[in-house]
Amino acid sequence: MGRKALLITPELCIGCRACQVACKSWNNLPAEKTKNNGTHENPPDLSGYTYVKIRFIEKEVKGEVKWLFVRQSCMHCGEPACVQVCPVGAMQKDPETGIVFYDKSICIGCQACRSACPFDVPRYDKEGKISKCYMCIDRVKAGLEPACAKTCPTGAIKFGERDELIAQAKAEGFKVLYGEKELGGLGVIFALNREPAYYNLVENPKAPEKVVALGEMLKILVAKGIPINNSIIKEFLS
Amino acid sequence: MDVKFTRRDFLKLSIGSLVLSSLGINLEPVKAYAKELKIKNAKETTTICPYCSVGCGIIVYSKGGKVVNTEGDPDHVISRGKLCPKGASLYQLANNPTRLLKPLYRAPYSDKWKEVSWDWALDRIAKLVKKTRDKYFIYKNEKGQVVNRVEAIAHVGSAALDNEECYILQKFLRALGIVYIEHQARI
Repeated sequence: MGRKALLITPELCIGCRACQVACKSWNNLPAEKTKNNGTHENPPDLSGYTYVKIRFIEKEVKGEVKWLFVRQSCMHCGEPACVQVCPVGAMQKDPETGIVFYDKSICIGCQACRSACPFDVPRYDKEGKISKCYMCIDRVKAGLEPACAKTCPTGAIKFGERDELIAQAKAEGFKVLYGEKELGGLGVIFALNREPAYYNLVENPKAPEKVVALGEMLKILVAKGIPINNSIIKEFLS
Repeated sequence: MDVKFTRRDFLKLSIGSLVLSSLGINLEPVKAYAKELKIKNAKETTTICPYCSVGCGIIVYSKGGKVVNTEGDPDHVISRGKLCPKGASLYQLANNPTRLLKPLYRAPYSDKWKEVSWDWALDRIAKLVKKTRDKYFIYKNEKGQVVNRVEAIAHVGSAALDNEECYILQKFLRALGIVYIEHQARI
């Protein structure tokens, strides 16, 4: 089993959000209060109970509104800063598939992973434990597709071997492959025809420089039994 | 699947492990991605999505009579495992704390719903259908031709009805004399 990836093609996405529903269904996640922010985008943000969300981006093209649907979820970085920073090893990267997953039973809820994440993805459940997309590693290990990729009716989310998906997207003539090289190669790759910023994707994402040092510091704090305050983390990184 | 472990197998395994561990190979399982697959050993039942007329295929996974998961059926000719958000939420049809389990009745001019029994609700529907039919039954039209119809009741069918259900419904509605027979997909 080589490195796995999700290939996202915003141009194929129709914004039906079956992925959001399938994700919630597989993970038994409760519904969340929705909010009218002027678009059809909902729930308002990723949360400990919403692992994947489709952004509804409105662009004006020749006087008409054009809708862009872009997936927002964990990017499963090749060099995940969250794994480097986690002081207790709750956040892990699967060496086989490259999936960044976590063990809630170890998590101490220090929220260092959110501070370290270049995409601001990690969220926390009601108990304060890490809760995010884990690319359905339980399904992948059993030879199944992640729930979102399986349900996607248009093929805007494709799951497979990372190398094959990249080759396929290139063969189809997409100009930009966001995530091919970024941060050691992302596990979620976007096939685009314009610059990533147009799709509200972070251009040249970088993990905070002091991530490794922060991880070491947090490890010492944990070893000494000193409670970690999130404000210390923020101050250290600023 | 019935896995039988004989004493011989056990010995083979133990000796094998002994050899491996003496070679210094770590036998600890790779760090667990913890959870067991929730559909492991679950009973798979195929069904058709009850919502629209596309009729996508769905697999219902159940354990001990309880639905544990539903997802698209990859072998289904219509949908090939794909589902829209409504179809993907089918699990909720069986497992949702807010699901209605009893008929609710709102009396005319009332602003409150009250729980009623199925017997009461079905009796009331039957009584009202009969009352309306008796009152508005048309034997003959203006030209004096026999028509035997009821124009005061209409019926809207669901896209999820199958052939057999449609057949029975048609028989029933025609027997009542109803002519306004519509279908959800045409609205």
